[in-house]
Amino acid sequence: MHSGVPQEQFFEKLSQEVEPSGAVRASAPARLKSKIYSALVCRQIASGPLLSLTQTYAAGRGLCVFEQLVRIAPVGERWESLNLCHVCHARVLAERIERAPIFWPNCPYVDFHRG
Amino acid sequence: MEIFQQPTVPEAAKNTSATKDFELVAEMLRKDRKATAKFVALYSDVIYRYVWLRLSPRADLVDDLVQEVFLAAWEHLQSYRGSSSLQGWLLGIARHKVEDYYRSVLRGAESLTDVDPEGLLAEAELGIEASLDRKRLQDKTQRVLENLPQAYRVVLLWRYWEKRSAREMAAQTGRTEKAIERLLARARGQFRERWNHA
Repeated sequence: MHSGVPQEQFFEKLSQEVEPSGAVRASAPARLKSKIYSALVCRQIASGPLLSLTQTYAAGRGLCVFEQLVRIAPVGERWESLNLCHVCHARVLAERIERAPIFWPNCPYVDFHRG
Repeated sequence: MEIFQQPTVPEAAKNTSATKDFELVAEMLRKDRKATAKFVALYSDVIYRYVWLRLSPRADLVDDLVQEVFLAAWEHLQSYRGSSSLQGWLLGIARHKVEDYYRSVLRGAESLTDVDPEGLLAEAELGIEASLDRKRLQDKTQRVLENLPQAYRVVLLWRYWEKRSAREMAAQTGRTEKAIERLLARARGQFRERWNHA
């Protein structure tokens, strides 16, 4: 059965009733989240150092095992403000594999993959 | 080390969720990497969903566009004042990015001013079958839209799902309003054909 309506009204009603696509994913792929995070941190560091790990930790943030090591090592603030994720294999895996086998706590890539 | 002055929370941001949004922005501007991760975790799903729906079925473009939204957000983060939610602000950027895509499609569409007699026939009535439940209506809409030529699909999405007028679309694409209306008429005609036979 059809209830005929002029086309303009039909499209207005249709766009209110349904989205143009039904097969949408509920969440962004973890790989994409990882790439976005990496790209954002790269942009941030391009205009100066990141907040140091000591300051990050003091603000109540959790650090991953590698960040903790750098934070407690006597390496100076310059090292603490580097983008350590850039040289971490977790990033490489997280950007390429949807369910990356990375498990340690306080790693943003692990969190993205846990959803 | 760069000295960062903690911004004060503006009047517009003085309710709980707005304050949280503003604090997250301030932390990102301090280049707190964990705040940046939180920002991605909090908002990537909603932006992804919005972009997916508006670009469907061009799933191949979704990832790049979503990433562009976040990079543009970072570039303009200093200008965030908390007058709208951070999610709303991001969706605004996403909407601009989607419209950039729509614009590029319609600008590149061949001879929008050509008269297609088929598309300019008197617009017949279309019906939403009363027996169609929402799921089937959704599927049918998706199927018909997916099978339309790209320019027709985009002009319908822009007009009805993004609720832009033909005049606004004309201004954004550099086409005349009449050319956009003709394209819309052809798109509706094609949609009608496919809808009635789907």
